[in-house]
Amino acid sequence: MKRKLLSAAADLALIAYFVFALFPVVWMVILSLKPTNELFSTYFSFTPTLDSYRTVLGAGDDQGVPFVRFFVNSLVVSLGAVALSLVIGLPAAYAAARWRFCGSENLMFTLLSFRFAPELTVIIPLFVLYQKLGLFDTYVGVVWVLQLVTLPLIVWIMRSYFSDLSPELEQAALLDGYTRKQAFFRVALPLVKPGIAAVSLLAFIFAWNNFVFPLILTSSNAQTVTVGALSFLGGDRPKYNLTAAAALVSVVPPLLLALTIQRYLVRGLSFGAVKS
Amino acid sequence: MPGRTAPAPVADHGAAAGTEEANGKRAVRAVPAWRRSLRPYLLIVPALLLTGGILYPFGLGLYYTVFDFAASKPQPDLVGLGNYRRILTQPAFWDSARVTVAYAVGAAAVETVLGVAVALLLHRSSLVGRVLEKILILPLMIAPVIAAIMWKLMLQPSVGVINHLLEPFGLGGVQWTDTPTGALLSSITVDMWVYTPFVAILALAGLRSLPASPFEAAAVDGAGWWFTFRRLTLPMLWPYVLVAVIFRFMDSLKVFDIIYALTEGGPGDSTMVLQIRAYLEAIRFQRYSFGISYMIVLWAVVYLVTMVLVRYLGRIQNRAAEVPR
Amino acid sequence: MTAQAAIALRGVSKRYGRNTALDGLDLEVAEGEFFCLLGPSGAGKTTTLKTIAGLEQPQAGTVELGGADMAGVEPYDRGVAMCFESYALYPHRTAYDNLASPLRSPRHRLPADQARERIGEIAELLGIGALLDRPVGRLSNGQRQRVALGRVLVRPARAFLLDEPLSHLDAKLRQAMRAELRAIGAVRRTTTLYVTHDSVEALALGDRIGVIRDGRMVQTGTREELWHRPYDTFVARSFGRPRINLLPGTVTPEGHFRSPDGAYELPLAVPAAPGTAVQLGVRPRDIGIGGPGRTGGGPPAPERTGGGPGPERTGGGAPGLELTGAVHVTELLGRATEVTVRIGGQQLSLVAPRAEAAGLGPDHPVRLSLRPESLLLFEADRPARPGRRIST
Repeated sequence: MKRKLLSAAADLALIAYFVFALFPVVWMVILSLKPTNELFSTYFSFTPTLDSYRTVLGAGDDQGVPFVRFFVNSLVVSLGAVALSLVIGLPAAYAAARWRFCGSENLMFTLLSFRFAPELTVIIPLFVLYQKLGLFDTYVGVVWVLQLVTLPLIVWIMRSYFSDLSPELEQAALLDGYTRKQAFFRVALPLVKPGIAAVSLLAFIFAWNNFVFPLILTSSNAQTVTVGALSFLGGDRPKYNLTAAAALVSVVPPLLLALTIQRYLVRGLSFGAVKS
Repeated sequence: MPGRTAPAPVADHGAAAGTEEANGKRAVRAVPAWRRSLRPYLLIVPALLLTGGILYPFGLGLYYTVFDFAASKPQPDLVGLGNYRRILTQPAFWDSARVTVAYAVGAAAVETVLGVAVALLLHRSSLVGRVLEKILILPLMIAPVIAAIMWKLMLQPSVGVINHLLEPFGLGGVQWTDTPTGALLSSITVDMWVYTPFVAILALAGLRSLPASPFEAAAVDGAGWWFTFRRLTLPMLWPYVLVAVIFRFMDSLKVFDIIYALTEGGPGDSTMVLQIRAYLEAIRFQRYSFGISYMIVLWAVVYLVTMVLVRYLGRIQNRAAEVPR
Repeated sequence: MTAQAAIALRGVSKRYGRNTALDGLDLEVAEGEFFCLLGPSGAGKTTTLKTIAGLEQPQAGTVELGGADMAGVEPYDRGVAMCFESYALYPHRTAYDNLASPLRSPRHRLPADQARERIGEIAELLGIGALLDRPVGRLSNGQRQRVALGRVLVRPARAFLLDEPLSHLDAKLRQAMRAELRAIGAVRRTTTLYVTHDSVEALALGDRIGVIRDGRMVQTGTREELWHRPYDTFVARSFGRPRINLLPGTVTPEGHFRSPDGAYELPLAVPAAPGTAVQLGVRPRDIGIGGPGRTGGGPPAPERTGGGPGPERTGGGAPGLELTGAVHVTELLGRATEVTVRIGGQQLSLVAPRAEAAGLGPDHPVRLSLRPESLLLFEADRPARPGRRIST
């Protein structure tokens, strides 16, 4: 009896937490379905409409916020950042996992310190530098600076995946008659493919969710959704329903991706410090 | 090579493939040792270049801090450590430092306790728990700035849904983000909303990888729940939780998105954490040197704290690894 | 200079940080020879193989294959095949693909149909013909080990390097595979360096055996040499179960062996300085029980009992020596019985046919007979240095 009560109490506590965790999202859905004229007059009873989504995903509102463009920008810079980090990070992660060479730990620690460095330390000088170099408000500029987010993640996690792989597999390939390059591409790489997929998606999510880099280093051409969603809050009449719709649209890609990599999240989130 | 015995007749097959090798027709190249030792460096060259590309602006920033570079002063003068002196003697800096630490400690502590609690509840794996676990990561995948926007809409004093829901209890009309304490607590709440799953996920992974035998032994000995938790679960889980705490604490020290979207440092300076102040100084007021100096100070603090915590983590993990499993 | 060795290591040293894996190792394997490298774990066996294969770079010394210095030569250019103790199979591929891997590589490429034929033969030989389509993950350890062995045999090689290739098999399968390995033509004709920690395996398989300890070669030789003329007590202890009896004692002025408590003296065939501390080595199977007429013989054939190499009987030339003692314990070993006998303060174990040991119980007085030529004399062991054998 007592046991049952305790168990029910535990379930209740869990449900309470998840109400707290889910309510904001639910409320955004409600808010986004509200017509503008009922925005401030009702809370839960109203005539639902998709107008907000139409406005956000359409030509933009009366202030001309090009949200679709922001969305595409986010897609481009996030994909670009992940691709660049993979090309550069995979060999580095492999080297750090397979060789003990002077400087490898320093490099790894420097990369980790990027993860923990306050972003503005780098951005403010970059802000000045980008203006001079013409990289301000460009895709290249944002992809470059997003390496601060994606590269440490990819190098650290892929190193832990490569380290888990017995070097004897590649040694066997060498003795089978393959070169080192072939051993890497034919043996090591296919075996860490799940890791690469997971870390790429996670890096994409982090790049997508980043706010401070595009906030400062873009203005209109390369602005991303995270910055763009804020623009609906401006103006003299805040459009809460549009803001809610924009917020929801902007979280769709990361949420979809997150669902596919749940299994690998632990290692990703902890930079390889925790394996599961 | 005269006098050399013919190498073994190779296996009992593939005469063609065998003889080629046996006769040593293929040139066998020796790779000198220096080229061999160069290999890992070739692989990391791109990463090094990129790292250099990121360190360069950092170095440039460091260089700027000894000038008084600003939009209003494009021909800066050397001021030496003047910027730092000014920052460290400014009450505003110490206010920000206090707010930052309060925020980081508060958020990390609340998230740790709540996250571990959620993990423990989920670890029971009741039906409810198994269903809910699937959506645990949801807040974590939402951009913090978007989360802050969502909460801003809900916390709006006059038309926000929170006050509306509290009204029946006679608690309506709370000025959430418009009072100094309320603003700080609201920011921490948003942080908690986003990042509690982070702690919970790592703690849950930890719980699931704990060895079963000590718990079975404790159960046989008739140990109570609290004893088991205090003496077994918590100590063994600590390395996992610590990873989460370190990440959360370091990240909260440099919080920007949530406060920028929720309060922009206000009301007054009540949520003016260091990164927000540096942003205002450098970008809004375009006092570049001064803003960067702020960031360098924050960076130094974060760097030192990281070193200490990571070293502590290493010790804890080593100790945990020594525990026979 | 005799014919060039197929594999030759000279003074090879390999350190990992502060740990020394190989410490000036010398090794020569002749063309076509089946050479067993025996040693306890951590002796440097695997490092030796990897150094030969070019997977590890020695800090000192040279590795030669067929007389050519291999310094700096890449593993894929050395033409050796290696079977890893961990199997090192590609877990994401099938057994067939694993076997085919060498035959698809640029160095050993065979046309697909020839490769298929070749793989079929090898799979048949190893009894894994039915498993070829299975992913490696769904094979048992024994099956994996055979696939790993197959990947070595399937390709041409100037030498096979086999690292404990039978270690993960159960006892029965191991014995069957041991016999098969010797029978497999490829192994018989190709230079093979076979690493094991199991002396029975080494005795059964090796044309010659090398005993390695702490990264150094202690002794190399045929099984008879290692059995009858071990370099030191370490080598002597490495072969034979039950282990060789090593009785500490001293040399008397007359050149006899005397046990510490003076319970017995035995004449020695080799001259030793009087007063030196020595150990007398006598193998359990060289001790007879009962009277001189029933003295046991030399070591039985290895395959049957796993004891030691074939007997080198000396047709009863020298007169037997006798000792008296009392039975301490007896333990049944299948068809034979291990009897531990107390002689004064020392214990001696011997193996007697079951029938002869039948009536023996604790404290039974017994007479033991020894043949002088079967006695080995060693220096006393010192810390980290097993006593050397004293010979004429």
